[in-house]
Amino acid sequence: MSQSAVKNRDRVQQVQQSKKNAQRLNTKRKKPKFFDVTTGFDMPFFITVILLVIIGLIMMFSASYPSAYYYRGNSYAFFLPQLGFAVVGVIAMIIISTVDYRQLRRWAYVAYIVSTLLLVLVLFMPAINGVHRWISVGVQFQPSEIAKFAVILVLACWASTHPNKMDTLKTGLVLPLIFVAITAVLLVLEPHYSCTVIILLLALIMLFLSGTKLVYFILMIGGGAGLASVLYFSGVLSSYLDDKFAGWRHALEYVDDHTFTWQTRNSLYAIGSGGLLGLGPGQSRQKHLFLPEPQNDFIFAIVAEELGFVGATLILLMFAYLVFRGISICMKAPDTFGKLLGTGLCVQIGLQVVLNIFVITDLLPNTGISLPFFSYGGTSMLILLAEMGVVLSITRQARAEKY
Amino acid sequence: MPCPFIFLRKGVILLRKAGAKSTVQIRTRVVVIILLICFMGAIADMFYNQIVRGEELSVAAFNQQLKDTPIRAKRGTIYDATGKVLAKSATVWKLAMEPKYFEDDEQREYVAKGLSELLDTDYDKIYKKAQANTYYVDVANNIENELKDKILEFRAEVTEKYSDLANVISLQEDYKRYYPYNSFASSVIGFTGSDGQGLAGLEYQYDSVLSGTNGRILTALDGVGKTEMPYEYEYKVDAQNGNNLVLTIDETVQRIMEKYIKQGLVDNKVYNRGAAIMMNVKTGAIIGMAVEEGFDLNDPFTVADEQKRKEIDSLPEDKQSEKESEYLSQQWRNKAVSDTYYPGSVFKIITSAMALEEGAITLDSTFYCSGAYSPYEGVSPISCHYTAGHGSQIFKQALCNSCNPAFMMIGQAVGAEKFWEYYKAFGYSEKTGIDLPGESEDVFFSSDGTMGPVDLAVSSFGQGFSITPIQMITAISAVVNGGYLMKPYLVSQIVDDDGNIVSTTEPEIKRQVVSSEVSRTLCEILEENAVSGAAKNGYVAGYRVGGKTGTSQKLKDLNEDGVQDYIASFCGFAPADDPQYALLVYYDTPTGDSYYGSTVSAPVFANIMKEVLPYLELEAQYTEEELANMSTTAGAYTGVSVDDAKQTAEQDGFNVIVYGNGDTVLSQIPSGGSEMPQEGTVVLFTDEKSEQDVVTVPDLTGMTISEANRSAAMFNLNLSISGSASSSNCISYSQDIEAGTQVKPGTVITVSFCETDIAD
Repeated sequence: MSQSAVKNRDRVQQVQQSKKNAQRLNTKRKKPKFFDVTTGFDMPFFITVILLVIIGLIMMFSASYPSAYYYRGNSYAFFLPQLGFAVVGVIAMIIISTVDYRQLRRWAYVAYIVSTLLLVLVLFMPAINGVHRWISVGVQFQPSEIAKFAVILVLACWASTHPNKMDTLKTGLVLPLIFVAITAVLLVLEPHYSCTVIILLLALIMLFLSGTKLVYFILMIGGGAGLASVLYFSGVLSSYLDDKFAGWRHALEYVDDHTFTWQTRNSLYAIGSGGLLGLGPGQSRQKHLFLPEPQNDFIFAIVAEELGFVGATLILLMFAYLVFRGISICMKAPDTFGKLLGTGLCVQIGLQVVLNIFVITDLLPNTGISLPFFSYGGTSMLILLAEMGVVLSITRQARAEKY
Repeated sequence: MPCPFIFLRKGVILLRKAGAKSTVQIRTRVVVIILLICFMGAIADMFYNQIVRGEELSVAAFNQQLKDTPIRAKRGTIYDATGKVLAKSATVWKLAMEPKYFEDDEQREYVAKGLSELLDTDYDKIYKKAQANTYYVDVANNIENELKDKILEFRAEVTEKYSDLANVISLQEDYKRYYPYNSFASSVIGFTGSDGQGLAGLEYQYDSVLSGTNGRILTALDGVGKTEMPYEYEYKVDAQNGNNLVLTIDETVQRIMEKYIKQGLVDNKVYNRGAAIMMNVKTGAIIGMAVEEGFDLNDPFTVADEQKRKEIDSLPEDKQSEKESEYLSQQWRNKAVSDTYYPGSVFKIITSAMALEEGAITLDSTFYCSGAYSPYEGVSPISCHYTAGHGSQIFKQALCNSCNPAFMMIGQAVGAEKFWEYYKAFGYSEKTGIDLPGESEDVFFSSDGTMGPVDLAVSSFGQGFSITPIQMITAISAVVNGGYLMKPYLVSQIVDDDGNIVSTTEPEIKRQVVSSEVSRTLCEILEENAVSGAAKNGYVAGYRVGGKTGTSQKLKDLNEDGVQDYIASFCGFAPADDPQYALLVYYDTPTGDSYYGSTVSAPVFANIMKEVLPYLELEAQYTEEELANMSTTAGAYTGVSVDDAKQTAEQDGFNVIVYGNGDTVLSQIPSGGSEMPQEGTVVLFTDEKSEQDVVTVPDLTGMTISEANRSAAMFNLNLSISGSASSSNCISYSQDIEAGTQVKPGTVITVSFCETDIAD
């Protein structure tokens, strides 16, 4: 066979392939079938998300109403807005799931730039509790939640655009790290350290998945540890860290302290009070103004108190199922972009859940990592559900690939 | 390439062989495995915190959530035998602060200022308490209702001014102990401490009965401590109020006893207090137990004796508290059960009982007293109190003479072994088991009863060993009640808060020590002793009384005046034909004119019995001679003409003296219906001027009856004779209206007489 003949045949195949694809896309766009076996999204994943959102809402209400009543004079002060965001979020998720995720590739850099601009803008917003995390324009929202998505998106896009160069130093490490670094620096300026840490971890995992050479990771981890120790011992970070780390792993010892170990200690009291089967739904005692802000990062302590070890484990298993189901389906996505994007988003959920548990049990310092679908926060809820919509969209394509 | 990378390469190759195709897939598996490990770690972490140390954490959580408020149980009331309240608890309030609620110093200052003004206490103290970082600080106790209302008003003001401080002041119900009769029966009743716990006397002995069980409320409070949590784990245990005590002590009897014990204390300048115990000989119930000087039960931590207080104040400051606590423990000491003393001649009753019971002597045995006696050859003779010698006497005479040589012989006849046996049988070697704290034990020559011949000799008249007054009266009761040793007791009933009887004390016979025959014989002899023997100062007109005096030497010169100290005691009982009550009177170290039991204690015994026996509804039967000494009732002679009145009064057997120049009698003294001696003087006043007349009471002590009568008559006063007045040897020792007092003519002066020529 001549070379031209081979080329010709390839071209014919390519055209046929693209026609097929176009046909499929056209069919789907005209008639979205959510529950179709071949073109619908992954039903178990979808149901798990919905279940977690519902359980999260109920538990958020249970945990928040005493403090909502006490501080806001209205038991529903936290629940109702959260419910609204959840409803909007679920609708958004379903809509996004119908959109081909590959459209996002076009918008990846735009999204990144918008996110970066918002992170800059937030620094000029008035500080709340001493930090610049919220932008208030009628509604409050946290650009750091958007930043997480933007970083995952831009890294997935970068890696799929340069599939063969990811093992080089420049393309595989330095350039993508510049995106990450800009975001990280802006987050440190807010400051929002827990989000910085999550974004750095996510970036590392994304690069790892994208095929960056292993030796760079070893060097980066070594360098990061060295830098951290230099910073720590030189005293640059110490004043902040002393604050954050004071009482860490000693929460139960400073019983009379009402300030910095109070939240962690009462979190542990709540978790311990739950025992095997829990005090029963709604029966938490620690939420009665003992555990401060039980609707936020420490909500799972109240969940553990009310539902016990059995309930807490079931919820953790649901999260685990969500994450692994998501990853395994996304791995079947037709392109590298889909694989990386879906896996990154699922890993984000997994990371936040695991880190949140380690914080409420005092294994990690209390830095403020929220629990997906449970913790109070509109931006977080909306963005997370939108992200799930993206994952659902990927599952839709992955299934189509399969059949 | 360094070693680790070779392994990583090999790992990647392995994964590839396991079916993975691309780098993304392989690396995803690595990430999934790491995430999986993290999830398992999170579950393990929850397991550790919920199951492994869940218990520990939930207990800590409980401690934080629950507020434990005690409910004080009301302490039981103490009643006397007739139902009079001797001790009771009344509601007061306890003031506490919850300073955690304070937000700034201005609030603290405001509250501290208000409270210190209301409580009249130091501002700084309260301010300091307000600075504490806790939910509870005690501020004041025993707040009465009136002050409580003011505090509540102040709290309302505070709340109005600072709405956050609504809970900063809290009042809790509490109880305070009140003793309505102050120092009455103080040694018996005892008192309580600041937390309501019994510290002395019956309050201490029956503390668990009286105190009841405190209740508690466990409430779950929210993290700010302001409101209760809406959960059903409020836990309330009601306080169980204490049970009430009904005593065998009769308030009237006790009061009479205290009155005369005190009088005897003053009359005889007693250095180291005195005590009297009255017992129902058939049951062992204590009817009265007077220990002087008493102290105010409402203020037990103050030295009651003024002189002692002055002495403490005069000491240098560093020694004051030591002396004060010494005097306090002295005043709280119940002399009737905690002090031991040589019983002296009163013990001769016991020696007699054992000798008669053992048949060592008979009623006809004769004993010769030459004034002294050597228990065995070579020992210097021990003298009798009557050094001239009682001569030859049969047993009855020996007892009535209280002859020491005779009793040394009787003791020898009994023998040391039997003596010890009876000593034990009469309960001297053990505590009586009376329901009072601090009962002392006896001090005998040896713990196994071994005693030398001289020991035996002096023991037989009550010297050389020490016993407690309660042991003495219990043993004497056994001698006179037919031989039964009773267990003395003070609480007859325990009654619960609703009035149900919880328990009733049944009289407890420990054993029969002597036969009823011996008991009857001794009662007769002791009655004779009280009529004509050494005990006749203890005689009570109208009653068949038996008794025995006792004067014992003390080893220690307590008041350090270089003079031998004595215990003067008297133990008697009534009625002699069927003894019901026994009374022991005892004074420690009288320093007056006389130190004999017959002159110091016997008259007190007689005075007490004279008032107590009628009260206890024992009917008096007077001899003719006694009837002559009895008082009668004055008629009413006012409103008629002087002559008519004079005639009527003379017909009633009174002498009449008229004051004033009027025609009709305006008033009279003694007034109509009041008690006055037979053949006494009635003074009639006929005009207003005469009614102003007064006379000065003369000193009527140290006189015989006739001298006193004459002296009283000179001042137109009436003389009422008290005490032993059966013979001409009586000398007056006290009068109820002090010499020098201005009284109206005709007033009745009661003068106490006693025999002076008897010693023992």
